[in-house]
Amino acid sequence: MTTPLALGVLAGAILSGTSLLYATLGETLVERAGIVNLGLEGVLLIGASTGFAVAAGTGGAWRGLLAAALAGGLANVLFGWLVVTRRANQLASGLAMMFFGFGLSALVGAPYVGSVIVGLPKWRPGWLAALPWVESTTLFNYDLLTWLAIPVALLVWWVLFRTRWGLGVRSVGESPATAYAAGRNPGALQYQALAAGGVLGGLAGAHLSLSLTLTWSEYMTAGRGFIAIALVIFSKWNPLRALAGALLFGGAEALQLQLQARGSEVSPFLLEMSPYLLTLLVLLAWGGARRMAAPAGLGRTFYGSD
Amino acid sequence: MNWKSLLLALSMAAFPALADAPKLVIGAIYVGSVNDYGYNRSFHDALLQVKQNLPGVTLIEAENVPESPAAERILEGMIQQGAKLIFPTSFGHSDPARHVAKRHRDVAFEYAGDGDTEKNFGIYFGSTQAAWYPMGVAAGKMTRTNKLGFVLGMPIGYAVGNVNAFQMGAHSVNPKAQTIVVVTGGWSDKAKEAGATNALLDQGCDVVAMHVDSPATVIQTAEARGAMSIGFQSLEARALAPKGWLTGLGFTWAPFFTDIARSVIAGRFRSAAVYQGLGGMVAMAPFGPSVPPAVQKAVTASADSIAKGFNPFTGPLTDNTGKVQLPSGASMGADQMGTFNWYLQGVVGKVR
Repeated sequence: MTTPLALGVLAGAILSGTSLLYATLGETLVERAGIVNLGLEGVLLIGASTGFAVAAGTGGAWRGLLAAALAGGLANVLFGWLVVTRRANQLASGLAMMFFGFGLSALVGAPYVGSVIVGLPKWRPGWLAALPWVESTTLFNYDLLTWLAIPVALLVWWVLFRTRWGLGVRSVGESPATAYAAGRNPGALQYQALAAGGVLGGLAGAHLSLSLTLTWSEYMTAGRGFIAIALVIFSKWNPLRALAGALLFGGAEALQLQLQARGSEVSPFLLEMSPYLLTLLVLLAWGGARRMAAPAGLGRTFYGSD
Repeated sequence: MNWKSLLLALSMAAFPALADAPKLVIGAIYVGSVNDYGYNRSFHDALLQVKQNLPGVTLIEAENVPESPAAERILEGMIQQGAKLIFPTSFGHSDPARHVAKRHRDVAFEYAGDGDTEKNFGIYFGSTQAAWYPMGVAAGKMTRTNKLGFVLGMPIGYAVGNVNAFQMGAHSVNPKAQTIVVVTGGWSDKAKEAGATNALLDQGCDVVAMHVDSPATVIQTAEARGAMSIGFQSLEARALAPKGWLTGLGFTWAPFFTDIARSVIAGRFRSAAVYQGLGGMVAMAPFGPSVPPAVQKAVTASADSIAKGFNPFTGPLTDNTGKVQLPSGASMGADQMGTFNWYLQGVVGKVR
């Protein structure tokens, strides 16, 4: 019994889109505070390898998840020290953090390559399993991170747009000088946004190693961090649209694999390119209003009042 | 003689263990980690076996060596530490290894791949294509949905040949069986391997095989969804699928490596191009608990016929677009196994 294409794509999209979503949400928070973190790929890798190492070393996937979240947060705070305190160029520092993440994750994960772990537990409520077609697929059989994906996106939206702290973060992203004049502490707010964004990035990486693949190998994220950065732009720095973006890209990735499995006449090389082509097309079509949507202070360094 | 060399000679006489230099220092570079339950592990396990077979052998290994000029530095370092026999184990280590071999004509190299041999540069590989035929027999007999999944890293000729032999074996015992191929685009993209396996299982495949560097992700994903799996690259992968493991292929380099090491120690190393199939460098893994004795008998018989010289790549062979690729009476030899650019009839997929 074969699964209909749409369900297969949806199932694959949710599985592969979970880590993309968390990464995009983390980067959205950070960019709303006016900082571009090009090193997101490194943060994801640090989260993935730390999570896997702790899970393999202590035998607990939950401990691995916690460790991954902490590691991601610390990595972003380190990046924050570079760009907020030391006022280094954000783009260059981000790329440096990316390479740092490559190396650190490889170092941390090296003793654990090939280890077999029990990953994050998965749940599927009985009434959902009883729906037609669902039983034999991966639909609704998710770990905690996937189940919480939508609530976390809503939470990030609510924090950014409905709390004083979120208002402060957004104001720093628009104009740090104005926020400073209004009595906010831009540096502190940026650090806090970085820490929170880093935790989300660490969780994104952990989902890859602790749930999706149950392994660790170097460069395992295969460019997901950069896709997430593109998705932040695609979603116009809005966490709710990030849901759509993550599903879209995850779906494109799943679609090309499902089409191959159905014997598509399209070359597998072209199919493999399709998710990235789709991202480009979507950015071209919907990226137009970017000028008005991006935080005005994005990427600029705030030198304070002295 | 001066007092220093007298002291050294006395101490060497008093401590024979110190005086024993290793008979042979072997260096090996791997493109990945030796814990991958796959390709790299097979070489590591074989070299450990060589150490057991030949006392006095020291082994220097380097993991995660990139397939770039950076590998030359690592090889030079090993030669500086006294390595006289080097194993570059990944296909992409060819160029760096050949450059270093030119500079050190007194060091023997054995490269896992193809190309020209030099006086100190031999090549070898396990001929896996025919060995996939009994794997197809196992899959064809065990499948209930008649759909077999194959996760492929890159559609190079040797890998496509593996798929074709797999389908041939399955078809020989189950005319309704078809093999569906999904290409991940890389030898080691774990997330795509998980996605590809899920896509194949969504399509109704209940047996999954693969040709990627490490079978671990594919096997674990299949096992989690209750599908059967056939392993590749390392015989140890069966530990990952206690229920679903059917059988698999693994590389057994140890006898060949031991012979080469012996020849280097004796000073009679001769470079050559050596390809061995089932019974030589390629071996079949033990059967899993779910394989009934009748199926085991059929698979073993098929493997024996391959080892005795049965060549499944004998015409007529038609590809999956209907074109006759190998006419009746013709056959393909081991040297043509890298030339496949078509899938056999019964395989669902496109090579390019």
